Amino acid sequence: MSSSCPVSYPFPWAETPDIPHDWRTMREQSLLHVTLPSGDPAVLVTRYRDVRKLFADERLSRNTARYPTSRISANNDLFGDPEIDNDPPRYLEERSVVMRAFSARRIEALRPIVQQIAEELMDAMEAGPRPAELMEAFAFPLPILVICHMLGVPPRDRQKFRRLIDGFLSVSALSDEEVEECRTGLWTYLGELIEHKHADLGDDLISELIRVSAEDPEKLTPYQLQHWVKTLLIAGYVTTASQIGTSIAVLLHRTSVADELKKDLGLVPSAVEELLRFQIMGTSLGSLRYALEDIELLDGTVIPKGSTVMLSVESNMDDTVFENPCTLDIRRQDNHHMTFGAGIHFCAGAALARMELQVATEGLLKRFPGLRLAVPGEELARPQGGFLAGYARIPVAW
Amino acid sequence: MSPTVRVTADNETCVTSSLCVYRVPEVFDQDEEGRVVVLDSRPSADLLTELHRARRSCPTRSIHVEVEEAPET
Repeated sequence: MSSSCPVSYPFPWAETPDIPHDWRTMREQSLLHVTLPSGDPAVLVTRYRDVRKLFADERLSRNTARYPTSRISANNDLFGDPEIDNDPPRYLEERSVVMRAFSARRIEALRPIVQQIAEELMDAMEAGPRPAELMEAFAFPLPILVICHMLGVPPRDRQKFRRLIDGFLSVSALSDEEVEECRTGLWTYLGELIEHKHADLGDDLISELIRVSAEDPEKLTPYQLQHWVKTLLIAGYVTTASQIGTSIAVLLHRTSVADELKKDLGLVPSAVEELLRFQIMGTSLGSLRYALEDIELLDGTVIPKGSTVMLSVESNMDDTVFENPCTLDIRRQDNHHMTFGAGIHFCAGAALARMELQVATEGLLKRFPGLRLAVPGEELARPQGGFLAGYARIPVAW
Repeated sequence: MSPTVRVTADNETCVTSSLCVYRVPEVFDQDEEGRVVVLDSRPSADLLTELHRARRSCPTRSIHVEVEEAPET
């Protein structure tokens, strides 16, 4: 890889459920010039220690819609919204309203509910045809039903909002008109949902946010309220579903590792963490930031002011931090990966996602001890043109 | 004698990752808002390895662990 000639980003995926080639070699340079799917330029910070440091650096703004930031997609603004302030202090004030719902105690209170949902989905899988398709039978419905429960969204709406969210997250899959229709449709749907809730408040998260907003509209305006509901609904299931799918695919592709885990389910938490580090469904596109000033990296390389910057999740493969980073080691300790980011924008739903992944992994291995990929790992197809690239279909048998 | 351990946490910069609570529940908890609370600011030195893991994993570096070696007798 040469620093002078920009490379296309995201990098090509490996043919098997494994770490892509470029993830292993990209750290030769601390800063890589890349071209986004839109054709716009950006720089990728490749080394773990720089990444970790810059996640806490306020010279990198998250207000990408307020500055001349490069676009991810040519026809979709994705998460950019000039009306939302994503930098401190405003961002932290809003975030604190939401975060109380994600404390360890609140997440653990949800665990039995998640287990119940997982059991019911596995009952249906067991009664259905084999091979089963893991994404539709399990990986998608589990986090969707969980986030519906948490937010207080009627589960019967899921087909409707799923289509709208798929369109909302299109990077190149849909036309301008289709993207616009989905973005408008999703916003309208959420507006109606919130209005409906106003009349019938419950103990769900949307109701809680409505109460906060009614008490102090300065703290959370109706627009901000709707924006957070949108963010939580999207983040609450698409990422988790993709990670459940790729986690299981990565694991089942390595039968000896899967066998080791089956023999000792006490390893599930560290295995989940390692599968999060080893994630091959996301990219660093979600970390897009705008450099408000020149910023120097640890080796002296400078990110010029005005650059569009990505903080590399591929730094999970940095061998100066992780021993044998390309080996899936389900017993790995000190696994401080960058999959959830770091700093003040650390993934709000990390504890929820982790818990769902633990329930899903343990549940599947317990219920289906003979679980295996029904096609070779090389044949698993990825969805095209979306923001995330887990597997479109994962046929499994047992 | 084992060393004296002191633990402090900054709940102003806490972003509710919950990592410390899962890692060392004897020492860390969260308030109603989800922000870090130190339950035991002088925990047993037996917990040091886990305390350092909690410190390193904190996404906003909000946890501090100090170790005072016991004076030799």
